[in-house]
Amino acid sequence: MNPIIGQALDRADGPAKVTGAAQYAGDFTASGMAYAVLVQSTVAKGMITGVVQEAAQRAPGVLHIMTHLNAPRLPQGGKAAFEPPAGRMLSLLQDGVIDYNGQPIAVVVADTFQHALAGAAQLRFSYEQQPAALDFTAAKRSAYAPKKAGKEDADVAWGDAGAGMGRATERIDHVYATPMQTHNAMEPHATLAVWQGDQLTIYDSTQGIAGARKTMAKTLGLDPSQVRVISPFVGGGFGSKGSVWSHVVLAAMAARTLRRPVKLALARTQMFGPVGGRPRTEQHVALGAGGDARLTAVRHDVVSHTSVMEDFVEPSATQTRMLYATDNAATTHRLVKLNVGVPTFQRAPGEATGTFALESAMDELSYALNIDPIELRLRNYAEKEPHEGKPFSSKSLRECYRIGAERFGWSRRPRQAGTLREGNELVGWGMATATYPANRMPASASAKILADGTAVVRSATQDIGTGTYTVMAQVAAEALGLPMERVRFELGDSSMPDAPVSGGSMTVASVSPAVQAACLDARAKLIEAAIAPGAPLAGATRDDVTTGDGWLALRSDPSRRVSFARAVGGRGAIEGKGEAKPGKEREQFSMHSFGAVFVEARVDRDLGRIRIPRVLGVYGVGRRLNAKTARSQLIGGIVWGIGMALMEETSLDPASGRVVNASLADYHVPVNADIGDIEVVFVDEDDPHVNPLGAKGIGEIGITGVGAAVANAAFHATRKRVRDLPLTLDKFLV
Amino acid sequence: MKPAPFRYAAAQSLEHALALKAEAGEEARFLAGGQSLIPAMNFRLAQPAMLIDLNPLDDLDYITVDNGALRIGARTRYSRVEHCAEVARWQPLLAEVLPNIAHPQIRNRGTLCGNLSNADPASELPAVMLAAGARMHAHSAGGDRWIAAADFFINLFETALQPDEMLVEIELPALPARSGTCFIEVARRPGDYAMAGVAASLTLDANGRCGSASIALCNAGPTPMAAAAAAQLLIGGVLDAEAIAAAAAQAQEEVEPNGNVHCTADYQRHLAGVLTRRALTSAAARARQGTSA
Ligand SMILES: Cc1cc2nc3c(=O)[nH]c(=O)nc-3n(C[C@H](O)[C@H](O)[C@H](O)COP(=O)(O)OP(=O)(O)OC[C@H]3O[C@@H](n4cnc5c(N)ncnc54)[C@H](O)[C@@H]3O)c2cc1C
Repeated sequence: MNPIIGQALDRADGPAKVTGAAQYAGDFTASGMAYAVLVQSTVAKGMITGVVQEAAQRAPGVLHIMTHLNAPRLPQGGKAAFEPPAGRMLSLLQDGVIDYNGQPIAVVVADTFQHALAGAAQLRFSYEQQPAALDFTAAKRSAYAPKKAGKEDADVAWGDAGAGMGRATERIDHVYATPMQTHNAMEPHATLAVWQGDQLTIYDSTQGIAGARKTMAKTLGLDPSQVRVISPFVGGGFGSKGSVWSHVVLAAMAARTLRRPVKLALARTQMFGPVGGRPRTEQHVALGAGGDARLTAVRHDVVSHTSVMEDFVEPSATQTRMLYATDNAATTHRLVKLNVGVPTFQRAPGEATGTFALESAMDELSYALNIDPIELRLRNYAEKEPHEGKPFSSKSLRECYRIGAERFGWSRRPRQAGTLREGNELVGWGMATATYPANRMPASASAKILADGTAVVRSATQDIGTGTYTVMAQVAAEALGLPMERVRFELGDSSMPDAPVSGGSMTVASVSPAVQAACLDARAKLIEAAIAPGAPLAGATRDDVTTGDGWLALRSDPSRRVSFARAVGGRGAIEGKGEAKPGKEREQFSMHSFGAVFVEARVDRDLGRIRIPRVLGVYGVGRRLNAKTARSQLIGGIVWGIGMALMEETSLDPASGRVVNASLADYHVPVNADIGDIEVVFVDEDDPHVNPLGAKGIGEIGITGVGAAVANAAFHATRKRVRDLPLTLDKFLV
Repeated sequence: MKPAPFRYAAAQSLEHALALKAEAGEEARFLAGGQSLIPAMNFRLAQPAMLIDLNPLDDLDYITVDNGALRIGARTRYSRVEHCAEVARWQPLLAEVLPNIAHPQIRNRGTLCGNLSNADPASELPAVMLAAGARMHAHSAGGDRWIAAADFFINLFETALQPDEMLVEIELPALPARSGTCFIEVARRPGDYAMAGVAASLTLDANGRCGSASIALCNAGPTPMAAAAAAQLLIGGVLDAEAIAAAAAQAQEEVEPNGNVHCTADYQRHLAGVLTRRALTSAAARARQGTSA
């Protein structure tokens, strides 16, 4: 029988989504439900000095207006539930302080959504305004070192970068910049809060139900057992739904005060500020190389902005600590505080922005040395992790370069830039390395084989559009020995066995081993039941029993077999449990996915307009549990990379601190017609160390490297090096 | 958001629509395709007290051709014009511009007269009207009049229409023989409003020199911008690369772009020059081949 794992199966949740049957957070209702609308500040810094709410109070249908004057006091005064970024600094109406333009300052609740909106429109605030920090460049003067950069230290160095740079015969030394960006998941954030006595149920659009439960409990002063979080479908998160943001807590506060369920859905424009975004970065990269094209030193110094409310670091230098072999490196992260909303993880936090800088610099170095960009990377190939010297659990980057070069026709690429032209278009080919860590966290699951011969497998994980429903059902079906259609995988309810946040591309790596363990446990119990005295396979040994296609059969005598349904028999159900967590292997190995991305850019010579007719990405991401969802994830990541390269930028009005393009009409992401051919190729990898299934995680690597590959291709076409994203047309005018 | 409260009247005839408008004046707006008006009302940027719905007026859904002159009624939607062979034959500029306007779904509802009455300088269509030398037929309860495109667009979202007037049809003159037209634009994303666009129409005289020329640009100023001096430079001359480059440089001087969140005014001005050169180059080639477009 063909293994089920690995097959290119359609998404299990596809029909529900296209028919509208899938219930997203905003689709849930509860009897007596009221509608809340979030009101935001219109100044960037200051104090609220007055609230004029009589008109709003009298507006039809308005039930409640919650401001800092009357909001319930929270046990911790609204402080972050956990040390950021695990918990976030929220705006929970505990005082009248304004830290950014767009900060939540009130909630208006009414009997209908329209009434709430109309009421909110009549609420007036007066402020005592203070000068706000909105100028990144000016704020750089007071840049400071954060405690950490992601999971790592802010500064990491080895060898002597200064001395190494001194020995170099070629040096590249430039500043690369990436703008503020906004996730813009298709589904806006939404929450429905329902209290039953002291029990709170939250229907939320979240990437982490377990974390949401703990955060809500701590913030509201409840025991986690009093909170249940439900989130069966999430229309994209990309990091913005990895944290509990203010509106979720505010909905629960309003519902408690009103003693009725309250739904609060954000408008698209409200997603530009109160729910995170990618911070702006300025990255100083210096590379030194000798005549042999080996890196004698690497420097990567990152400055990114954070909010005055909380330190969040975009860890853009982390890949520089592991990607290329060098004896001398120095990397730092610094923060500047601005009066903006708290920034957060955005698809491939660190690597998406960091690879733009590092891989652009590598491209520049290849021209300086006059060697092929792939050759430069091969000369500096890291056989082991360069800093601590750990071996990689698996790494097929060399294969990725080779296969990519072959399929893309790289050998036909002229070394010199600015030589290919067709009509008005200058043509260029560029490449970059992609990488993302193979993360994993503890997870658990349960598996129940029912008397009708089907199974229900559960874990409190999430499907954020990535295919968790499908992939976990595949893992379960194979472990149990059932066909796919007889396995139901359920997720999105915090009353199920715990699982980690769907972030860091680790859902498959973390949850599938737990699912597998739970199913193997249930299967073992089923076998025990089937071979018990008086049972259909009585007398057989455990090891003699195999399962497949819904049957238990004896290896020694396949004619002796029994269906799952009969084996469960009068027991009603047989249940297994599974837990899985990373172990010592994480200390022994460095674990990362790698890839190589190739881009053709066509630049209109007179207009500076860039088209990307084709992209090829070749990846080594461990074992793919579903060939189709894996490929789709990477295509999606590449599309986003193109958007990051060419379009995406959140523009802040320097005077008011307001986002001026807070809509999908003005915040551009690519549409279908912007995207050409995208080809994704996998290098098969067998990684026995990352986890029992050998899957390294796929979600985020797709966006990494793309920004640089596009910029490198654009340079190859035009000889114009643009070091700040997005690569807008004006930057390519000669 | 949802619109502020308004009254609604379905027009039963043109006369009925005009009578309602005469009575309500500025308070009332005509509802055509609704593709600009309804979003504006939902954002409460527009809060008309009354809508007079033109959609029941089937008799205003027409495209007529008389000796090559096209007339298009107030109820005629973009998609009908876009797919009309007569339009492509007699006014290729109009056929060429339509796919650049919005998306198919919007073109299935939106009307040309609604677009022109809206007078958005970012829109492609007003520029095409200027370049094609179109006329607007306005009616009121008291009578009717023709307004040349050049006199129709007064300012940002402002036309020569009086509060009691309705744009009932537009007329585009037949394109003479030995003519070529071209429309090009550059948008950040396909389907979006352009950062700038150019409509050009050229006619050769019997000697192959430029007999007449018109150039108009969209999203290049407070109204559709005619580059009249640039066109004048071409007349009487040979349409070679040099003449075209000179006209393009002149067109760049005639625009008044403002810049926006997607591009700077400088870039729009640059675009105006490049696009004018390209549009004139193709229009001239088409005129020479006698293929018009
Ligand atoms: C997503 C989107 C993208 C778009 N992209 C573009 C684009 O790229 N380029 C572009 O040009 N347009 C674009 N549009 C606008 C679209 O072309 C509109 O359809 C058009 O501007 C208005 O035509 P309408 O028939 O829908 O008019 P309506 O919206 O019904 O009316 C527009 C205005 O004209 C008035 N009006 C309507 N008919 C008459 C009449 N006969 N006499 C007097 N006044 C009248 C109305 O009262 C109203 O003030 C876009 C629209 C959308 C929603």
